[in-house]
Amino acid sequence: MLRTTVSVTALALGCLLVGAPEAQADVMEAIKERGTIVVGIRADYRPYGYLGPNGENIGIEPTLARDVAERLGVDYEFVPVVAANRMEFLQQGRIDLMIATMTDTAERRRVVNIVEPNYYSSGTNLLARKGIGVSAWEDLRDRPICAIQGAFYNRKTQEEFGANLIAFTGTAEVLTALQQGRCQAFVYDDSFIQARLQEPEWADYEMPVETIDDAPWGLAVAHGEDNFYAFMSEVIEDWHRTGKIIALEEEYGVDPIPFTRRMHEEFSAN
Amino acid sequence: MMVRGPKGHAGLGGGTDLPVLLPAAERLQRRSERERLLGAPRLRLRGRDLAWLCLMLICFTGYAEAQAAAAGREPISIALLRWVPLLFQGFVFNIVISVLSMALGTVLGVVLGLMQISLLPPIRFSSWFVTQFFRNAPWLVLLFYCIFLLPFEIRAFGMRIPFPDWIKAIIGLSLPVMANVSEIVRGAVRSIPSGQWEAAESLAFNRNQTIWKIILPQCVKRMLPPWMNLYAILTMATVLASIVGVSEVMTLARRVLAAEVRNDLLIPLYGMILVWFFVYCYPIARLTQWLERRYAVKL
Repeated sequence: MLRTTVSVTALALGCLLVGAPEAQADVMEAIKERGTIVVGIRADYRPYGYLGPNGENIGIEPTLARDVAERLGVDYEFVPVVAANRMEFLQQGRIDLMIATMTDTAERRRVVNIVEPNYYSSGTNLLARKGIGVSAWEDLRDRPICAIQGAFYNRKTQEEFGANLIAFTGTAEVLTALQQGRCQAFVYDDSFIQARLQEPEWADYEMPVETIDDAPWGLAVAHGEDNFYAFMSEVIEDWHRTGKIIALEEEYGVDPIPFTRRMHEEFSAN
Repeated sequence: MMVRGPKGHAGLGGGTDLPVLLPAAERLQRRSERERLLGAPRLRLRGRDLAWLCLMLICFTGYAEAQAAAAGREPISIALLRWVPLLFQGFVFNIVISVLSMALGTVLGVVLGLMQISLLPPIRFSSWFVTQFFRNAPWLVLLFYCIFLLPFEIRAFGMRIPFPDWIKAIIGLSLPVMANVSEIVRGAVRSIPSGQWEAAESLAFNRNQTIWKIILPQCVKRMLPPWMNLYAILTMATVLASIVGVSEVMTLARRVLAAEVRNDLLIPLYGMILVWFFVYCYPIARLTQWLERRYAVKL
């Protein structure tokens, strides 16, 4: 009985605390007071955010996050997120800022405050063995297709193109499944697929269809944080102006994508 | 016709007249006696099994290694070794989670178990309900509840006390442990012959004294083997925490695979983790068996 009372109280208290509206006026103030900015980043998406052998977070996005901390004059703390939990963490206030390979969609804008301008971009494509007879997205009907849990194009692949989706948590599992023939193609970001196709292991594979949904990536803050939004907006503009993102792409072995080049030209012109 | 052994036991493994089979017959007889007591054949793990597992993994890694060499890539063993320190830290974290949730679950479970033998019907019934509820709930579901219902930090008296995921995972895993320990306690108390209670009463012990001085001391050795068994199961269940985002060994393994972007590492890597868990849990299983043998009730 004591147990039940205690656990019921704990749960009620939990609901209360989670459900309570953020009392803090401004997250910028809170960050400075704390002396630490908590950033949600990916730890499983090379080269945008991944682990080094000592467990440190490296990649393009952690470097950008460190730059934000430097500009604010505070320390940083990384919280690894995945596609399925990154927006919840931001809403709960567990992270102050999210730079986690998130595609900017109207639906997501309702949940979190996606900062303009966008900082990166990618489209959706397929990784498939050559000669399986897929040349258009419509050819996916009733074929087993591998995907990553939480990706926004999963629904489209399933409903519009009629594929039988098999969703995994990590890319290593998907690539193994693909090589073992458990699915016929892998629907994912084109930047990732392009990187794989340059490796000899994937010589028999191709991107058989046209890239769709070429959409920009947005970093996000919680709704209502207008000061922080304005600050981050300027930071991104500065990244584009100075070509920081292009430099990082080169550092991490990615060919600079047309989007970052275009943004660099646009922002450095005026 | 029945084969009668030297000790007069009948049946399979119960003995033989053939001198060449005598050493084995002794062992088989002991084993079948234990299995009869247990009511089921027991799974026996031996050092041999670990050797087989390792051999299998080495073969597989060797095969993958050869393929990697053929493809002109870095050998798997070197890639794997680079990540061993990080992964091992993750494994130690699993052990820490298992020890702490076992401790928490045991303390709560003993209280709950004693409530189950209470003389007051409301206490008995409510503790019975809590026990049954958590014993029959899937561990992962309980874990999800704890991770998503408990706050990530507690604000009290103007202070922010962080409440990290791994602590929530400990709480989440301790709930089923609590319920199972509760049943172990109740079962052990019930297994003490009623003569003990009656004798204590005739010696003018009150109920409290009877429980703490007569019954529970006799229960401890009966509870130890199932309790250790539960611990081994819990240790293996700690990897569930990876699903809710705790940075334990499986989460790290996934991140390592993403950082290496080579999927031939997948099976050797998970295999290595498998061996670690085996090496940790196997001695516990052996010790449990030994304790069971030692404390077996002689009829």
